[in-house]
Amino acid sequence: MAAPNSEKELKTEVPSSHEAEQPQIQAIRMPSMEEIRAQEVWNNCAVRSVASGVMGGGLGFMMGMFLGALDNPIMQDQMSGKQQLLYNLKQMGSRSWSSAKTFAVMGVVFSAVECVVEKARAKHDTTNTVVAGCVTGGTMSAKAGPKAACVGCVGFAAFSVAIEKFFDRHT
Amino acid sequence: MAETEMEYRVELFNRLAQTCFNKCVDKRYKESELNMGENSCIDRCVSKYWQVNSMIGQMLSAGGRPPM
Repeated sequence: MAAPNSEKELKTEVPSSHEAEQPQIQAIRMPSMEEIRAQEVWNNCAVRSVASGVMGGGLGFMMGMFLGALDNPIMQDQMSGKQQLLYNLKQMGSRSWSSAKTFAVMGVVFSAVECVVEKARAKHDTTNTVVAGCVTGGTMSAKAGPKAACVGCVGFAAFSVAIEKFFDRHT
Repeated sequence: MAETEMEYRVELFNRLAQTCFNKCVDKRYKESELNMGENSCIDRCVSKYWQVNSMIGQMLSAGGRPPM
């Protein structure tokens, strides 16, 4: 049983040598009850999908406002006055609101499907992302017919796999 | 006695943790926390192990001979 003894030796050595070495080996800590409860809350599918929907709504709102602000300066040269500016702002707001709703729905559906599929399969894979992306893309373009739904499914699945691979490269 | 029971319990816990870890957790460690897939896999693994263990214990203690 040499491992616990060496851990105890490391713990007694650490307070005496503050400036000696920067990378000090931390002892393994078991998660506390608050950490376990936080993990339980975050593992709930409903909580995750709502949080993802809120984040998607925020992102959609910012994107809609940015794109709306880009479109405005073309119209301002034709008619002067602050009322025209207010009208432009309202149009920008309505466009960003619709964009926010689209993105929020996308976020909720994607997160909920991925959570449910991962819990059912009991595996952490890219297959979960593919299925969730396909369902999200399919439901979003379902109004334009079955062919558009298939194209949307494949496209969004490929996009979400690419985004996940991009984010996983950091770890 | 109590020592035998304690040894049995410790052995059971160690084997359970070893089996379910080997089954459920991927060997390429990417992060320190258990994700949802591993959580649900561990839940199922532990409950199956416990149920089978108690069933076998009952069968061994009820019938004198194992039915094989």
